[in-house]
Amino acid sequence: MQAQTRLVQIHRNGFAPAERLRPPAFHLFGTAAGSHVLMVNGSRIFSIAEDVAMALRASDDEDQAIRYFGLDAPAYIDDAAPLDPPVRSLSLAVAQKCNLACTYCYAQQGDFGNVPKDMSTEVADRSVDLLFSSVRSGERVQLTFLGGEPLTNRGVLRRATERAAILAARSGTEVRFSVTTNGTLLTPEDGEFFERHGFAVTISLDGPAEAHDALRPSKGGAPTFDRVMSRVLPLLRLQRRMQVSARVTVTPLNLSLRETLDGFLNAGFHSVGFSPLLSSGSGQAEMSGQELETMLAGMVACGEEFERRILRGERYSFLNMTNAMQQLHKGTHRPYPCGAGAGYFGVSADGELYACHRFVEDPDGHMGDIDSGPDRARQRTWLTERHVHRQEPCRSCWARYLCGGGCHHETIRRGRPACDYIRGWLDYCLRAYVRLLHARPEYFAA
Amino acid sequence: MRKSISPQNLTAQLQYRAAGNPPSTLPGAAVSNACPGLEMDFRNVWKRILVGIVLHETTNVVVGVEEDAPAPLYVLPTLYQLMKVEGEPVTATVTGPLIAGGPNVPIPNTSSDSVTNLEWSNALADVLYRYSGKEVVCEFQTIDPPLATLKFNLRVRHFFEKVLLPGGKKATQAVISRDIAEAGALTQSLCSPWQNDYRVCACFYWAATRPDYVNVELGEDGASVGNNWMQKDRTPESAKVYVVDDLQDQRLLTYGDLFREWEKALRFVIGNQDAE
Repeated sequence: MQAQTRLVQIHRNGFAPAERLRPPAFHLFGTAAGSHVLMVNGSRIFSIAEDVAMALRASDDEDQAIRYFGLDAPAYIDDAAPLDPPVRSLSLAVAQKCNLACTYCYAQQGDFGNVPKDMSTEVADRSVDLLFSSVRSGERVQLTFLGGEPLTNRGVLRRATERAAILAARSGTEVRFSVTTNGTLLTPEDGEFFERHGFAVTISLDGPAEAHDALRPSKGGAPTFDRVMSRVLPLLRLQRRMQVSARVTVTPLNLSLRETLDGFLNAGFHSVGFSPLLSSGSGQAEMSGQELETMLAGMVACGEEFERRILRGERYSFLNMTNAMQQLHKGTHRPYPCGAGAGYFGVSADGELYACHRFVEDPDGHMGDIDSGPDRARQRTWLTERHVHRQEPCRSCWARYLCGGGCHHETIRRGRPACDYIRGWLDYCLRAYVRLLHARPEYFAA
Repeated sequence: MRKSISPQNLTAQLQYRAAGNPPSTLPGAAVSNACPGLEMDFRNVWKRILVGIVLHETTNVVVGVEEDAPAPLYVLPTLYQLMKVEGEPVTATVTGPLIAGGPNVPIPNTSSDSVTNLEWSNALADVLYRYSGKEVVCEFQTIDPPLATLKFNLRVRHFFEKVLLPGGKKATQAVISRDIAEAGALTQSLCSPWQNDYRVCACFYWAATRPDYVNVELGEDGASVGNNWMQKDRTPESAKVYVVDDLQDQRLLTYGDLFREWEKALRFVIGNQDAE
């Protein structure tokens, strides 16, 4: 059959029915340069002529259409869950307590709803040993310190770090360290320690002072922004191996993203990332509907500034955008949103393993303990049930392999209220990717 | 002129089949993932992976040196074989049971040392991952006695093509580098199922369209007897002796026999028995 005849036939087949029987195979998008398509399977991105876009848009048999254009591919992701993946990343809740009283904290002001407690050196040691128990030369592991506020138990944090560094050297492996802190207890000595071990330091900061102080007060109700910044600034000047980033939890109270981003980048943070608050411990300040639309507009405004800066050859480390550009370029496709419950676990102060740091002390996410390792039966159930092919409405979403189904903790607790936001953001990122790839291919060279 | 469909990101570049190309041009669909292949011989990408020398595509023998190779390398071709790269061996001892249910023992081979070459894609994958663009210590050993060893530092070529971008940076593309696969290299040793491969490929390889072991009878002791399919003398009266493959053995068909008189040399085999 001639190509033109087939094209006409595909046009005549009419428009896609409102309810699709099969999950969408592609997502069409456009830029000033023309039409483009994301093939969901394998996250493959193509620039296409207008007649190809029209034919794809009009087709009611997507499989036939994509085969015709040679855009089909063997399934990159099947229904199978990974079987018993080895432990390669742990976060230690070295302190299940906190000196702040953030209104939305998933850890319920740091203690996860239990008696405040610290991780002992013994539990930390055994956790580190578990991390290295099956690692082979040349592999990489990740050790993260979280809480509560991890710096309330800095002795254990440092000891675990040094133990991991020794084990890494002995086993010929690479260990990467990270810590997420509220910044109120940081000292210059902490900065030197983090620099020495090349930490990725994430400071929880919720925007300009006023919003931050409303969202992240001390337990006594005092403002904390100025205190955090005064302690963080010396670290920013120390950054060589260490990278100090700001993580902004976005709530209805701090939606001025561009101002926040520029403020922190100008202060010298290595990078700044935003994440909407979708599930809070108290139910307060959760984002929905209109607020997510406002946030999306703010994210796109930040993204457009990112594009302008990259075109000018400047650095502008808007983390959501740098990550998205890297992942779209590689064609990242994943059946899960993260490694939680697979190669990554959160360790509680008592040495219990949980699917991630957010599930600490939550029976739903319990996954064994540091002495016997992951509970493989529970892990298999978790990985089978959490596979994006088992999630609704993800199965029928074009963004399913880019998003992976959304944070397990948030979706289990609150559902999926932010799908339009995520799709809107990814649609923008796709367009920005194609624009930058053409205008500044060297940005993707690394 | 603008192409109607143009792959943009890396997964798209790897998977896209350009208009007019057959399905077999995709790496995942092609019959080219093993030795040698119908449309390309993937083994050939490894021949120039180490700057200065040319390796054989399946064995660890050095078959040549590159034009601008330093003089000390000129001693290697046809006399030396590559043994280790950065301490990692490119050969292995093969063990297994000699009879069904038997113990694992070294499997004899023609050189009686039970050592075989590892397939390059496996043997050098880690080297490529760790050392692309860098120098590695390569250890060589003479093929025949007297035993002698040599070590050279050679650079590992990049596997994927890089393009120079404005500003001097290089971007890695999802295509095999011109540096390791010169024009024609990937198609210079294709499968020939109806000529050479009739002789060289045993029945466990897809290109062999023939059995190995025919006229098989089960003896009272449970062992089987029969003929090598390449034996010239295979009448019903012929001794049921399996002649082990050897290009010099006159009892076996040669490549020449197959090229000149295949219609006489080849016979139908039905139900594992020569058909009359």
